[in-house]
Amino acid sequence: MTDLAAVSRARGGDADAFRGLVERHSRLVFGVAYRMTGNEHDADDVVQETFLRAYRQIGKFEDRANFGTWLHRIAVNCSLDLLRSRGRYERHHVNDGNDEDGEMTRQYESTDPQPDRLLLSTELKEHVIAALDRLSGNERTAFVLRHFEGMPVEEIGRTLGIQVNAAKHTIFRAVKKLRESLEPLVRSTPCNT
Amino acid sequence: MQHLTEVELVSHYYHDDDSAVAESHLRHCSECAAQYETIGRVLALVTDAPGPERGEDYGDRVWSRLRWKLGIDRRRRTTWVTGISVAAALAIAFFAGQFWRASRERAVQPTAAVSAEATGSAPVQAAARVRGGMEDKVLLLVVGDHLDSSERVLLELANADPAKGLEIGQESRRAGELVAANRIYRQTAAKNGNERIASVLADLEPVLIELSHAGKSLSKDELLELQKRIEAKGLLFKVRVIGAQTTPGDKPPRISSDTNTL
Repeated sequence: MTDLAAVSRARGGDADAFRGLVERHSRLVFGVAYRMTGNEHDADDVVQETFLRAYRQIGKFEDRANFGTWLHRIAVNCSLDLLRSRGRYERHHVNDGNDEDGEMTRQYESTDPQPDRLLLSTELKEHVIAALDRLSGNERTAFVLRHFEGMPVEEIGRTLGIQVNAAKHTIFRAVKKLRESLEPLVRSTPCNT
Repeated sequence: MQHLTEVELVSHYYHDDDSAVAESHLRHCSECAAQYETIGRVLALVTDAPGPERGEDYGDRVWSRLRWKLGIDRRRRTTWVTGISVAAALAIAFFAGQFWRASRERAVQPTAAVSAEATGSAPVQAAARVRGGMEDKVLLLVVGDHLDSSERVLLELANADPAKGLEIGQESRRAGELVAANRIYRQTAAKNGNERIASVLADLEPVLIELSHAGKSLSKDELLELQKRIEAKGLLFKVRVIGAQTTPGDKPPRISSDTNTL
Protein backbone atom coordinates (compact mmCIF):
# COMPACT_ATOMS: atom_id res chain seq x y z
CA MET A 1 0.00 0.00 0.00
CA THR A 2 1.38 3.43 -0.89
CA ASP A 3 1.73 6.18 1.71
CA LEU A 4 -1.09 8.13 0.12
CA ALA A 5 -3.43 5.16 0.14
CA ALA A 6 -2.55 4.45 3.76
CA VAL A 7 -3.13 8.09 4.70
CA SER A 8 -6.48 8.01 2.97
CA ARG A 9 -7.52 4.91 4.89
CA ALA A 10 -6.12 6.25 8.16
CA ARG A 11 -8.25 9.35 7.73
CA GLY A 12 -11.24 7.04 7.57
CA GLY A 13 -10.30 5.54 10.92
CA ASP A 14 -8.32 2.55 9.71
CA ALA A 15 -5.84 2.03 12.55
CA ASP A 16 -3.96 -0.69 10.70
CA ALA A 17 -3.26 1.70 7.83
CA PHE A 18 -1.77 4.22 10.24
CA ARG A 19 0.16 1.44 11.90
CA GLY A 20 1.70 0.66 8.51
CA LEU A 21 2.83 4.27 8.18
CA VAL A 22 4.34 4.19 11.66
CA GLU A 23 6.23 1.01 10.92
CA ARG A 24 7.44 2.32 7.56
CA HIS A 25 8.68 5.70 8.73
CA SER A 26 9.72 5.25 12.37
CA ARG A 27 13.40 4.69 11.74
CA LEU A 28 13.71 7.68 9.45
CA VAL A 29 11.90 9.88 11.94
CA PHE A 30 14.25 8.61 14.63
CA GLY A 31 17.21 9.68 12.48
CA VAL A 32 15.85 13.22 12.18
CA ALA A 33 15.03 13.37 15.88
CA TYR A 34 18.44 12.11 16.88
CA ARG A 35 20.25 14.62 14.71
CA MET A 36 18.18 17.39 16.23
CA THR A 37 18.37 16.34 19.88
CA GLY A 38 21.67 14.47 19.98
CA ASN A 39 20.20 12.09 22.50
CA GLU A 40 18.69 8.67 21.81
CA HIS A 41 16.18 8.77 24.63
CA ASP A 42 14.95 12.20 23.58
CA ALA A 43 14.82 11.02 19.99
CA ASP A 44 12.58 8.12 20.97
CA ASP A 45 10.26 10.56 22.72
CA VAL A 46 10.22 12.79 19.66
CA VAL A 47 9.29 9.83 17.47
CA GLN A 48 6.27 9.15 19.68
CA GLU A 49 5.22 12.77 19.70
CA THR A 50 5.68 13.07 15.95
CA PHE A 51 3.31 10.23 15.16
CA LEU A 52 0.89 11.43 17.79
CA ARG A 53 0.72 14.82 16.09
CA ALA A 54 0.63 13.27 12.65
CA TYR A 55 -2.36 11.16 13.64
CA ARG A 56 -4.22 14.12 15.07
CA GLN A 57 -3.44 16.33 12.10
CA ILE A 58 -3.75 13.79 9.37
CA GLY A 59 -6.89 15.52 8.14
CA LYS A 60 -4.73 18.53 7.30
CA PHE A 61 -2.31 16.55 5.17
CA GLU A 62 -2.63 17.50 1.52
CA ASP A 63 -2.61 14.62 -0.89
CA ARG A 64 -0.30 16.47 -3.26
CA ALA A 65 2.41 16.52 -0.62
CA ASN A 66 4.84 13.78 0.22
CA PHE A 67 3.89 12.08 3.48
CA GLY A 68 7.52 11.45 4.42
CA THR A 69 8.39 15.12 3.96
CA TRP A 70 5.35 16.17 5.96
CA LEU A 71 6.27 13.78 8.75
CA HIS A 72 9.86 14.98 8.60
CA ARG A 73 8.72 18.52 9.19
CA ILE A 74 6.59 17.49 12.14
CA ALA A 75 9.58 15.65 13.61
CA VAL A 76 11.72 18.77 13.30
CA ASN A 77 9.03 20.84 15.02
CA CYS A 78 8.62 18.27 17.79
CA SER A 79 12.38 18.25 18.30
CA LEU A 80 12.45 22.03 18.46
CA ASP A 81 9.62 22.02 20.97
CA LEU A 82 11.44 19.52 23.14
CA LEU A 83 14.69 21.49 23.00
CA ARG A 84 12.80 24.70 23.69
CA SER A 85 10.99 23.18 26.65
CA ARG A 86 14.28 22.21 28.18
CA GLY A 87 15.98 25.47 27.39
CA ARG A 88 18.56 23.64 25.38
CA TYR A 89 18.76 26.29 22.71
CA GLU A 90 20.85 28.21 25.16
CA ARG A 91 22.71 25.29 26.63
CA HIS A 92 26.42 25.47 26.12
CA HIS A 93 28.75 22.59 26.43
CA VAL A 94 31.39 22.78 29.12
CA ASN A 95 34.04 23.02 26.45
CA ASP A 96 32.25 25.78 24.65
CA GLY A 97 34.30 28.88 25.20
CA ASN A 98 32.12 31.51 23.57
CA ASP A 99 32.61 34.94 25.03
CA GLU A 100 30.03 37.70 25.14
CA ASP A 101 30.62 38.60 21.53
CA GLY A 102 29.99 35.09 20.45
CA GLU A 103 33.53 34.63 19.29
CA MET A 104 35.32 31.49 20.27
CA THR A 105 38.14 32.26 22.64
CA ARG A 106 39.07 28.84 23.93
CA GLN A 107 40.16 25.79 22.04
CA TYR A 108 38.61 22.41 22.63
CA GLU A 109 40.27 19.78 24.67
CA SER A 110 42.53 17.91 22.38
CA THR A 111 40.97 14.72 21.20
CA ASP A 112 43.01 14.43 18.06
CA PRO A 113 42.71 10.87 16.90
CA GLN A 114 45.58 8.72 15.80
CA PRO A 115 45.47 8.52 12.00
CA ASP A 116 45.93 4.76 11.87
CA ARG A 117 42.81 4.25 13.94
CA LEU A 118 40.57 6.46 11.91
CA LEU A 119 39.83 4.00 9.17
CA LEU A 120 37.32 2.34 11.42
CA SER A 121 33.94 3.73 10.63
CA THR A 122 32.77 3.27 14.19
CA GLU A 123 35.51 5.56 15.38
CA LEU A 124 34.69 8.09 12.73
CA LYS A 125 31.12 7.98 13.89
CA GLU A 126 32.15 8.52 17.49
CA HIS A 127 34.32 11.47 16.52
CA VAL A 128 31.51 13.06 14.57
CA ILE A 129 29.09 12.53 17.45
CA ALA A 130 31.61 14.01 19.86
CA ALA A 131 32.20 16.96 17.54
CA LEU A 132 28.46 17.64 17.31
CA ASP A 133 28.16 17.32 21.08
CA ARG A 134 30.68 20.10 21.49
CA LEU A 135 28.37 22.54 19.78
CA SER A 136 26.21 24.75 21.93
CA GLY A 137 22.47 24.16 21.80
CA ASN A 138 21.91 27.05 19.42
CA GLU A 139 24.78 26.05 17.20
CA ARG A 140 23.69 22.46 16.94
CA THR A 141 20.10 23.39 16.15
CA ALA A 142 21.08 26.00 13.57
CA PHE A 143 23.60 23.68 11.97
CA VAL A 144 21.28 20.69 11.79
CA LEU A 145 18.46 22.79 10.38
CA ARG A 146 20.72 24.23 7.70
CA HIS A 147 22.88 21.25 6.92
CA PHE A 148 20.53 18.30 7.23
CA GLU A 149 17.12 19.87 6.87
CA GLY A 150 18.04 22.48 4.27
CA MET A 151 16.14 25.20 6.12
CA PRO A 152 16.84 28.73 4.82
CA VAL A 153 18.85 30.99 7.13
CA GLU A 154 15.92 33.41 7.45
CA GLU A 155 13.68 30.65 8.74
CA ILE A 156 16.36 29.42 11.12
CA GLY A 157 16.57 32.96 12.49
CA ARG A 158 12.82 33.02 13.03
CA THR A 159 12.87 29.58 14.63
CA LEU A 160 15.61 30.51 17.07
CA GLY A 161 14.29 34.02 17.62
CA ILE A 162 17.46 35.70 16.39
CA GLN A 163 18.40 38.02 13.50
CA VAL A 164 19.32 36.56 10.14
CA ASN A 165 22.93 37.65 10.49
CA ALA A 166 23.14 36.10 13.94
CA ALA A 167 21.71 32.87 12.53
CA LYS A 168 24.29 32.93 9.76
CA HIS A 169 27.11 33.42 12.24
CA THR A 170 25.75 30.69 14.50
CA ILE A 171 25.91 28.29 11.59
CA PHE A 172 29.40 29.51 10.78
CA ARG A 173 30.58 28.98 14.36
CA ALA A 174 29.18 25.47 14.28
CA VAL A 175 31.01 24.67 11.05
CA LYS A 176 34.19 26.22 12.40
CA LYS A 177 34.03 24.03 15.51
CA LEU A 178 33.28 20.94 13.48
CA ARG A 179 36.17 21.73 11.21
CA GLU A 180 38.54 22.12 14.14
CA SER A 181 37.45 18.78 15.54
CA LEU A 182 37.23 16.80 12.37
CA GLU A 183 39.77 18.24 9.96
CA PRO A 184 42.54 15.93 11.23
CA LEU A 185 40.35 12.99 10.26
CA VAL A 186 39.80 14.31 6.79
CA ARG A 187 43.49 14.89 6.27
CA SER A 188 44.48 11.49 7.56
CA THR A 189 41.93 9.44 5.68
CA PRO A 190 43.67 8.23 2.51
CA CYS A 191 40.55 8.20 0.38
CA ASN A 192 39.96 11.84 1.18
CA THR A 193 43.39 13.12 0.28
CA MET B 1 43.97 39.37 -4.30
CA GLN B 2 41.78 39.39 -1.24
CA HIS B 3 40.89 35.92 -0.04
CA LEU B 4 37.41 34.78 0.86
CA THR B 5 36.76 34.69 4.59
CA GLU B 6 35.70 31.50 6.33
CA VAL B 7 32.22 32.94 6.75
CA GLU B 8 32.05 33.54 3.00
CA LEU B 9 33.29 30.03 2.28
CA VAL B 10 30.66 28.49 4.53
CA SER B 11 27.97 30.74 3.05
CA HIS B 12 29.04 29.65 -0.41
CA TYR B 13 28.90 26.00 0.60
CA TYR B 14 25.27 26.44 1.62
CA HIS B 15 24.47 28.68 -1.36
CA ASP B 16 23.67 31.58 0.93
CA ASP B 17 25.77 34.05 -1.06
CA ASP B 18 26.32 35.51 -4.48
CA SER B 19 27.67 32.26 -5.84
CA ALA B 20 28.99 33.73 -9.11
CA VAL B 21 31.49 35.96 -7.31
CA ALA B 22 32.70 33.20 -4.99
CA GLU B 23 32.88 30.69 -7.86
CA SER B 24 34.98 33.04 -9.89
CA HIS B 25 37.35 33.60 -6.97
CA LEU B 26 37.67 29.92 -6.21
CA ARG B 27 38.60 29.21 -9.83
CA HIS B 28 41.57 31.54 -9.60
CA CYS B 29 42.68 31.18 -5.97
CA SER B 30 44.14 27.81 -5.09
CA GLU B 31 44.45 28.72 -1.41
CA CYS B 32 40.77 29.50 -1.02
CA ALA B 33 39.89 26.50 -3.18
CA ALA B 34 41.83 24.26 -0.80
CA GLN B 35 40.07 25.78 2.22
CA TYR B 36 36.72 25.33 0.53
CA GLU B 37 37.50 21.72 -0.31
CA THR B 38 38.43 21.00 3.31
CA ILE B 39 35.18 22.48 4.55
CA GLY B 40 33.33 20.31 2.04
CA ARG B 41 35.15 17.18 3.22
CA VAL B 42 34.48 17.88 6.88
CA LEU B 43 30.82 18.51 6.26
CA ALA B 44 30.58 15.42 4.06
CA LEU B 45 32.02 13.44 6.94
CA VAL B 46 29.27 14.78 9.20
CA THR B 47 26.65 13.95 6.59
CA ASP B 48 27.89 10.42 6.06
CA ALA B 49 28.51 9.49 9.69
CA PRO B 50 25.88 6.97 10.70
CA GLY B 51 23.84 7.77 13.77
CA PRO B 52 22.63 5.25 16.32
CA GLU B 53 20.49 2.65 14.67
CA ARG B 54 17.16 1.17 15.56
CA GLY B 55 16.29 -2.40 14.70
CA GLU B 56 13.79 -3.69 12.19
CA ASP B 57 11.22 -4.03 14.94
CA TYR B 58 11.48 -0.37 15.94
CA GLY B 59 8.30 0.60 14.12
CA ASP B 60 6.46 -2.16 15.91
CA ARG B 61 7.74 -0.97 19.26
CA VAL B 62 6.80 2.62 18.44
CA TRP B 63 3.32 1.46 17.52
CA SER B 64 2.95 -0.57 20.71
CA ARG B 65 3.49 2.54 22.81
CA LEU B 66 1.62 4.82 20.48
CA ARG B 67 -1.62 2.90 20.27
CA TRP B 68 -2.33 3.50 23.96
CA LYS B 69 -1.86 7.19 23.57
CA LEU B 70 -4.04 7.27 20.50
CA GLY B 71 -6.75 5.18 22.11
CA ILE B 72 -7.15 3.44 18.79
CA ASP B 73 -8.31 0.09 20.08
CA ARG B 74 -11.81 0.55 21.40
CA ARG B 75 -11.39 -2.26 23.88
CA ARG B 76 -8.34 -0.49 25.26
CA ARG B 77 -10.10 2.80 25.67
CA THR B 78 -11.54 1.62 28.94
CA THR B 79 -9.82 3.12 31.91
CA TRP B 80 -7.50 1.11 34.00
CA VAL B 81 -9.94 0.75 36.86
CA THR B 82 -12.78 -0.10 34.52
CA GLY B 83 -10.63 -2.77 32.89
CA ILE B 84 -9.79 -4.35 36.19
CA SER B 85 -13.42 -4.21 37.29
CA VAL B 86 -14.61 -5.85 34.08
CA ALA B 87 -11.98 -8.54 34.37
CA ALA B 88 -12.91 -9.20 37.98
CA ALA B 89 -16.61 -9.38 37.13
CA LEU B 90 -15.90 -11.83 34.33
CA ALA B 91 -13.73 -13.92 36.60
CA ILE B 92 -16.53 -14.10 39.16
CA ALA B 93 -18.98 -15.06 36.43
CA PHE B 94 -16.55 -17.68 35.23
CA PHE B 95 -16.15 -19.30 38.62
CA ALA B 96 -19.90 -19.09 39.28
CA GLY B 97 -20.49 -20.84 35.95
CA GLN B 98 -18.07 -23.57 36.86
CA PHE B 99 -19.79 -24.11 40.18
CA TRP B 100 -23.21 -24.18 38.53
CA ARG B 101 -22.00 -26.64 35.89
CA ALA B 102 -20.41 -28.96 38.45
CA SER B 103 -23.65 -29.03 40.48
CA ARG B 104 -25.73 -29.70 37.39
CA GLU B 105 -23.44 -32.44 36.12
CA ARG B 106 -23.68 -34.23 39.43
CA ALA B 107 -27.47 -34.06 39.19
CA VAL B 108 -27.80 -35.32 35.60
CA GLN B 109 -24.96 -37.85 35.60
CA PRO B 110 -27.15 -40.97 35.88
CA THR B 111 -29.51 -39.78 33.12
CA ALA B 112 -26.62 -38.86 30.85
CA ALA B 113 -25.00 -42.22 31.39
CA VAL B 114 -28.19 -44.01 30.39
CA SER B 115 -28.67 -41.72 27.42
CA ALA B 116 -25.10 -42.15 26.29
CA GLU B 117 -25.42 -45.88 26.54
CA ALA B 118 -28.56 -45.78 24.44
CA THR B 119 -27.47 -43.34 21.76
CA GLY B 120 -23.68 -43.54 21.78
CA SER B 121 -21.30 -41.18 23.54
CA ALA B 122 -20.76 -38.67 20.69
CA PRO B 123 -23.48 -36.15 21.71
CA VAL B 124 -22.27 -36.11 25.30
CA GLN B 125 -18.69 -35.54 24.18
CA ALA B 126 -19.83 -32.80 21.81
CA ALA B 127 -21.70 -31.09 24.63
CA ALA B 128 -18.60 -31.29 26.79
CA ARG B 129 -16.56 -29.76 23.99
CA VAL B 130 -18.99 -26.85 23.66
CA ARG B 131 -18.87 -26.24 27.39
CA GLY B 132 -15.08 -26.38 27.32
CA GLY B 133 -15.04 -23.93 24.44
CA MET B 134 -17.26 -21.47 26.28
CA GLU B 135 -15.10 -21.63 29.37
CA ASP B 136 -12.03 -20.99 27.29
CA LYS B 137 -13.66 -17.99 25.63
CA VAL B 138 -14.45 -16.42 28.99
CA LEU B 139 -10.98 -17.13 30.30
CA LEU B 140 -9.34 -15.82 27.13
CA LEU B 141 -11.37 -12.64 27.29
CA VAL B 142 -10.42 -11.76 30.83
CA VAL B 143 -6.82 -12.84 30.40
CA GLY B 144 -6.60 -10.78 27.19
CA ASP B 145 -7.52 -7.61 29.06
CA HIS B 146 -5.22 -8.53 31.90
CA LEU B 147 -2.30 -9.05 29.52
CA ASP B 148 -3.00 -5.75 27.76
CA SER B 149 -2.79 -3.98 31.07
CA SER B 150 0.35 -5.87 32.05
CA GLU B 151 1.96 -5.10 28.71
CA ARG B 152 1.54 -1.40 29.32
CA VAL B 153 3.36 -1.69 32.62
CA LEU B 154 6.13 -3.79 31.09
CA LEU B 155 6.53 -1.37 28.19
CA GLU B 156 7.07 1.54 30.54
CA LEU B 157 9.81 -0.45 32.23
CA ALA B 158 11.37 -1.83 29.08
CA ASN B 159 11.54 1.56 27.36
CA ALA B 160 12.86 3.48 30.34
CA ASP B 161 16.43 4.72 30.29
CA PRO B 162 18.38 2.86 32.99
CA ALA B 163 20.76 5.79 33.25
CA LYS B 164 17.98 7.96 34.58
CA GLY B 165 16.07 5.59 36.85
CA LEU B 166 12.29 5.74 36.72
CA GLU B 167 9.41 7.34 38.55
CA ILE B 168 6.97 4.49 38.84
CA GLY B 169 4.36 5.55 41.37
CA GLN B 170 1.53 4.96 38.91
CA GLU B 171 2.97 1.75 37.46
CA SER B 172 3.60 0.38 40.93
CA ARG B 173 -0.01 0.98 41.90
CA ARG B 174 -1.21 -0.66 38.68
CA ALA B 175 1.08 -3.63 39.26
CA GLY B 176 -0.40 -4.04 42.72
CA GLU B 177 -3.89 -4.15 41.23
CA LEU B 178 -2.77 -6.69 38.65
CA VAL B 179 -1.08 -9.11 41.06
CA ALA B 180 -4.26 -10.49 42.60
CA ALA B 181 -5.97 -10.90 39.23
CA ASN B 182 -2.85 -12.51 37.80
CA ARG B 183 -2.84 -15.12 40.56
CA ILE B 184 -6.50 -16.05 39.94
CA TYR B 185 -6.05 -16.30 36.18
CA ARG B 186 -2.86 -18.33 36.52
CA GLN B 187 -4.54 -20.85 38.85
CA THR B 188 -7.59 -21.07 36.61
CA ALA B 189 -5.53 -21.51 33.46
CA ALA B 190 -3.46 -24.24 35.11
CA LYS B 191 -6.58 -26.00 36.32
CA ASN B 192 -8.12 -25.88 32.84
CA GLY B 193 -4.94 -27.11 31.18
CA ASN B 194 -4.08 -23.81 29.47
CA GLU B 195 -0.41 -24.36 30.01
CA ARG B 196 0.82 -21.54 27.78
CA ILE B 197 -1.28 -18.94 29.54
CA ALA B 198 -0.41 -20.36 32.95
CA SER B 199 3.28 -20.29 32.09
CA VAL B 200 3.26 -16.67 30.92
CA LEU B 201 1.26 -15.59 33.94
CA ALA B 202 3.70 -17.46 36.19
CA ASP B 203 6.59 -15.56 34.60
CA LEU B 204 4.72 -12.29 34.87
CA GLU B 205 3.71 -12.59 38.52
CA PRO B 206 7.11 -12.08 40.23
CA VAL B 207 7.79 -9.00 38.09
CA LEU B 208 4.41 -7.52 39.00
CA ILE B 209 4.95 -8.32 42.67
CA GLU B 210 8.38 -6.74 42.67
CA LEU B 211 7.08 -3.68 40.90
CA SER B 212 4.15 -3.36 43.28
CA HIS B 213 6.59 -3.27 46.19
CA ALA B 214 8.96 -0.84 44.53
CA GLY B 215 7.28 2.31 45.81
CA LYS B 216 7.47 5.56 43.88
CA SER B 217 10.72 5.17 42.03
CA LEU B 218 13.22 2.64 40.81
CA SER B 219 16.93 3.26 41.11
CA LYS B 220 19.15 2.71 38.08
CA ASP B 221 20.22 -0.71 39.38
CA GLU B 222 16.68 -1.79 40.21
CA LEU B 223 15.43 -0.71 36.82
CA LEU B 224 18.29 -2.45 35.06
CA GLU B 225 17.65 -5.61 37.03
CA LEU B 226 13.96 -5.62 36.16
CA GLN B 227 14.70 -4.92 32.51
CA LYS B 228 17.12 -7.83 32.46
CA ARG B 229 14.49 -10.12 33.94
CA ILE B 230 11.90 -8.99 31.43
CA GLU B 231 14.34 -9.49 28.59
CA ALA B 232 15.80 -12.78 29.84
CA LYS B 233 12.39 -14.40 29.96
CA GLY B 234 11.25 -12.77 26.73
CA LEU B 235 8.35 -11.65 28.86
CA LEU B 236 7.16 -8.74 26.77
CA PHE B 237 7.17 -10.85 23.65
CA LYS B 238 5.28 -13.70 25.33
CA VAL B 239 2.71 -11.32 26.78
CA ARG B 240 2.19 -9.74 23.35
CA VAL B 241 1.83 -13.07 21.60
CA ILE B 242 -0.60 -14.52 24.09
CA GLY B 243 -2.36 -11.16 24.34
CA ALA B 244 -2.80 -11.02 20.56
CA GLN B 245 -4.15 -14.56 20.49
CA THR B 246 -6.64 -13.78 23.20
CA THR B 247 -7.93 -10.60 21.54
CA PRO B 248 -11.29 -11.48 20.00
CA GLY B 249 -11.37 -8.53 17.60
CA ASP B 250 -7.87 -9.06 16.29
CA LYS B 251 -7.66 -12.77 15.93
CA PRO B 252 -10.21 -15.32 16.98
CA PRO B 253 -8.78 -17.69 19.55
CA ARG B 254 -8.27 -21.19 18.36
CA ILE B 255 -10.20 -23.49 20.61
CA SER B 256 -9.35 -27.07 20.03
CA SER B 257 -12.17 -29.54 20.03
CA ASP B 258 -10.43 -31.89 22.36
CA THR B 259 -8.03 -29.81 24.41
CA ASN B 260 -8.10 -26.52 26.22
CA THR B 261 -4.78 -25.29 24.94
CA LEU B 262 -4.60 -22.29 22.67
